[in-house]
Amino acid sequence: MPYWKLFNRLIVRPLRREPVRTLLAAFAVALGVAVVVGIELAGNAAVGSFRSSLDTLADDADLEITATGGLPADVLAQLTALPHSFRFEPRMEDFAFLPARNRTVPWIGVDFIANAPEQDASPGDSDPADRFRKEQVWVSAGLGYKSGDRIWVLIGDTLSVFIVGGVLSKQPGEVLAADLSLTDHLFRRQGKLDRILVHIPSGRSIAEWEKLLRSALPPGAGVEREGSRTDENRRMLAAFRWNLRVLSYIALIVGAFLIYNTISVSVVRRRAEIGILRALGATRTAVLLGFVGEAACFGLAGALAGIALGRVLAASAIGLIASTVQSLYVSSTPASVELSWEVALLGIGMGIGVAVLSALSPAWEASRAAPLEAMARGRGEHRVQIRKLRGLLAAGLLAAGAWIASMQGAVDGKPLFGYLAALLLIAASAFAIPALVSVLAASAAAWMRRLFGVEALLAARGLAGSLRRTSVLVGALSTAIAMMAAVGIMVGSFRQTVVLWMEDRLQADLYLRPATPGGADRHPVLSPEVADRIAALPEVAAVDRFRAYSIRYGGMPATLGAGDARIAGRYGRRAFLSGAKPQEVFEQLTSTDSVIISEPFANKHGVKAGDILSLPIAGQPVRLRVLDVYYDYSSERGYILMDRSRLLKYLPDPAPSNIAVYLRRDVPLERGRDAIEPVLKGRKVVVLSNRSLREEALRVFDRTFAITYALEAVAVLIAVMGVAGALLALVIDRRREFGLVRFLGGAQAQVRRIILFEAALLGLFANAVGILLGFFLSLLLIFVINKQSFGWTIQFHWPVSVLTGALSLVYLATVTAALYPARVAAQLNPIEVVHEE
Amino acid sequence: MSILRLEQVSKDYQTNGAKVSALRDITLAVKRGEFVALLGPSGCGKSTLLNLAGAMDFPTSGQVILRGVATSALDDPALTRLRRGTIGFVFQSFQLLPTLTVAENVELPLLLAGAKGSRAAALRVLEQVEMDQFASRMPYQLSGGQMQRVAIARALVHAPAILLADEPTGNLDSATGDLILALLRRIANSGQSTVMLATHSAEAATLADIVVRMRDGRIQEIRENPGKP
Repeated sequence: MPYWKLFNRLIVRPLRREPVRTLLAAFAVALGVAVVVGIELAGNAAVGSFRSSLDTLADDADLEITATGGLPADVLAQLTALPHSFRFEPRMEDFAFLPARNRTVPWIGVDFIANAPEQDASPGDSDPADRFRKEQVWVSAGLGYKSGDRIWVLIGDTLSVFIVGGVLSKQPGEVLAADLSLTDHLFRRQGKLDRILVHIPSGRSIAEWEKLLRSALPPGAGVEREGSRTDENRRMLAAFRWNLRVLSYIALIVGAFLIYNTISVSVVRRRAEIGILRALGATRTAVLLGFVGEAACFGLAGALAGIALGRVLAASAIGLIASTVQSLYVSSTPASVELSWEVALLGIGMGIGVAVLSALSPAWEASRAAPLEAMARGRGEHRVQIRKLRGLLAAGLLAAGAWIASMQGAVDGKPLFGYLAALLLIAASAFAIPALVSVLAASAAAWMRRLFGVEALLAARGLAGSLRRTSVLVGALSTAIAMMAAVGIMVGSFRQTVVLWMEDRLQADLYLRPATPGGADRHPVLSPEVADRIAALPEVAAVDRFRAYSIRYGGMPATLGAGDARIAGRYGRRAFLSGAKPQEVFEQLTSTDSVIISEPFANKHGVKAGDILSLPIAGQPVRLRVLDVYYDYSSERGYILMDRSRLLKYLPDPAPSNIAVYLRRDVPLERGRDAIEPVLKGRKVVVLSNRSLREEALRVFDRTFAITYALEAVAVLIAVMGVAGALLALVIDRRREFGLVRFLGGAQAQVRRIILFEAALLGLFANAVGILLGFFLSLLLIFVINKQSFGWTIQFHWPVSVLTGALSLVYLATVTAALYPARVAAQLNPIEVVHEE
Repeated sequence: MSILRLEQVSKDYQTNGAKVSALRDITLAVKRGEFVALLGPSGCGKSTLLNLAGAMDFPTSGQVILRGVATSALDDPALTRLRRGTIGFVFQSFQLLPTLTVAENVELPLLLAGAKGSRAAALRVLEQVEMDQFASRMPYQLSGGQMQRVAIARALVHAPAILLADEPTGNLDSATGDLILALLRRIANSGQSTVMLATHSAEAATLADIVVRMRDGRIQEIRENPGKP
């Protein structure tokens, strides 16, 4: 109890006396925690609680049987003939688009006669068999239809109307279900099943049943535990979530700098007080705990506010995360955002933990001070000056450590050493900053005085004189700027790489795809005759039909694609890692059972040119030689590409997922488009010109990285708030100096200008350090972290305009943050502050 | 001709809602070139009087007339201009800026006023107080007496009409304090500036031309110092 009294009087009470500064420090923690909590909650909702939308209606099946390109119907007949009481649920699975809801939803084809799902009673339809013979679909309650409603559905390029046969009242989410035969017809499945769900009988273990089933299946079919697709997707999304999480921690790191600064200020300001307390019998531990406790107060207050704020942030972030997941990885419907105890505890732990850790060093220093060491600022700062060289040495060692860490490979698919290298680089910069700031401030003082007068000189000297605080502020702001610059450079480089890649890759004049929106795992198809009729047009030189299948390889989702290798060889300028000529590679593709693979696929599965891929296609195992690895930025899942004619041997479905149309040289684009128009009559097909396809791709790209920029913006906001808080503290600490300036004939405006110049210099130093650090961090992001996480080769590129704009904005914000402290400084009563000693 | 006049000046402060009178009905005239000592114990109102004389504060009632201008009639920019040309301050605790060199500290009033040739002026006045050889040192490298001499140089650099010194020897040993007082006396003798010295030391006051004895915010006695050097 007496300790609490002391804590309240000596630590809590002073905080209450400076509410603006206290609130700013707590709010910095709150924002950091909010970002972590927000991303965690949004990630959980969009990804963490992820269940493949195609697992809808799977109920409590135990096993599932699948094969790339579908299972022939006779497999089911073989299975039902087994002398065991298995229950099988054959399924066809795809996606359809509901124009009225502007939503793509899973379409599940099931054998309703054998496996009727639970649904609302539908009076008048007594015999289920009758119902499923009609063109009827069943809808989940979430779609908001009722029995008997008419529902327009776009499948591939065909718009059809169905009657709602019933509502699946217990089915969460959004899904359409129909009978197998209808699904087979609509999706041109030629009787092939996507999955057979298996309910095992009792008596043996699941592994034994799995083994038994495998022995009864043709070689190309596989048996797995039901839900493994969900697990695979979750594994695939792990890297995405990791990187998002790491980005969210940047805000906390910046917050840590500011807590360090706040506690340092507390210690410096209360040096005399510490001396008195030590003389009165306070132990070193008591002093240490006092300041750590102060930090914990900031941490707890910030964490509690941060959790509430994080919940709000999550609601805004979930849309962005979900759309990235949809366009890059897999179709899923985000769950609602729910604040769990685990995430709340994570937020509190993070808030208090970061605050306490960052306060340890200044608190330790305070506890080591001898009672008589309650001395003036000069000596403390002098010590920092002397430690500059030691700091530079430590910076060199940390940078070397970062370099070594950056050379290491991924750990379990995660770029842990890459992250470590980034942390070491940030630490190296923090240690080097005092020396850098000292040199910069000293050189700035002379030219600033010449250019801007005595206020600028006082500002520069003031910053150099408070080297410790200046260094921490520059550290916080430069870290935020560096991360912003690094991510800006990485995204800018990535974008430019994609632009250049598209220039090479997209050579056709027009691209056609069904109006049903596709996705990373959704490949709706066009009617085959569309391509044939377009190819026959006199305006058209060539048509490349591309077909994609979502497959599983090595326990991860991937895409198997096939195009006309001859046309690709003639027109395409696909770049290969080996540097081989595209024509030669495509020539081989047409003549052998071989494939080319995308770079992300190669990296993810450790496959290289010359390796043999064993792929079960349509129930038969196929051995395919990898000819080469090509650069690709269209999918993180990874592509296996083969020649269309060879794939058709195994999967004789001619419907293409999209078509690339090459017009004759003398045919202008508009004439070509007009010629195609009649062929598409009555079909829902999207026709994109080369240019508009690129624009669309870049729109998706920019949307994908919107959240990255948002996270960076929060980190910068925290740093700018920190500058405001720290400048306020600086004004309070140096109030005597500002009062003296007034005694010596300085005007209020001049005092105000001193603070504004200090902010301007801080911003300048932080920008200089931030750009330098950001450059090195961007190299790590591009060549280590991104490469190990996603497997993409990105060419380095300076996004000059984005960086200039962002840095100018940060600079402006930093100077603006100084307006309030400057006002406070100008309004100080000089008599009070000069004579208060 | 008085350079500074205080006419029935009172100054009150509000402390926790209660009125505290720091000065009561003060009337005083200071002529150009005089050395005036305000003598009295702590809390008698010496510093308040200096602040009013230096146009750093306004009287609650009465008038402070500095070079013929009533300070109460001026706004903050005008007061700043008046101070720049007229007043030099010396403090008990020196109040040198720790981040500036000696020469830069001395230059400061000229720089704040936007005057040219500040460095040459600073070196000149440093020479006058025998501190020119320390021009490039930092304040923490000086002794207390040296710091106070630098502070006096700073107060003189813009050739103020009045030099206000608030307990300038309070933080110094007696020998160093004597040197500082002698320096102030020399300044007054040279006619460079009028000097007003606030002190609680009767011994220090013996150097002044006029001794104003104060107690509880009032002037008890104004007398010419017969024993002045």
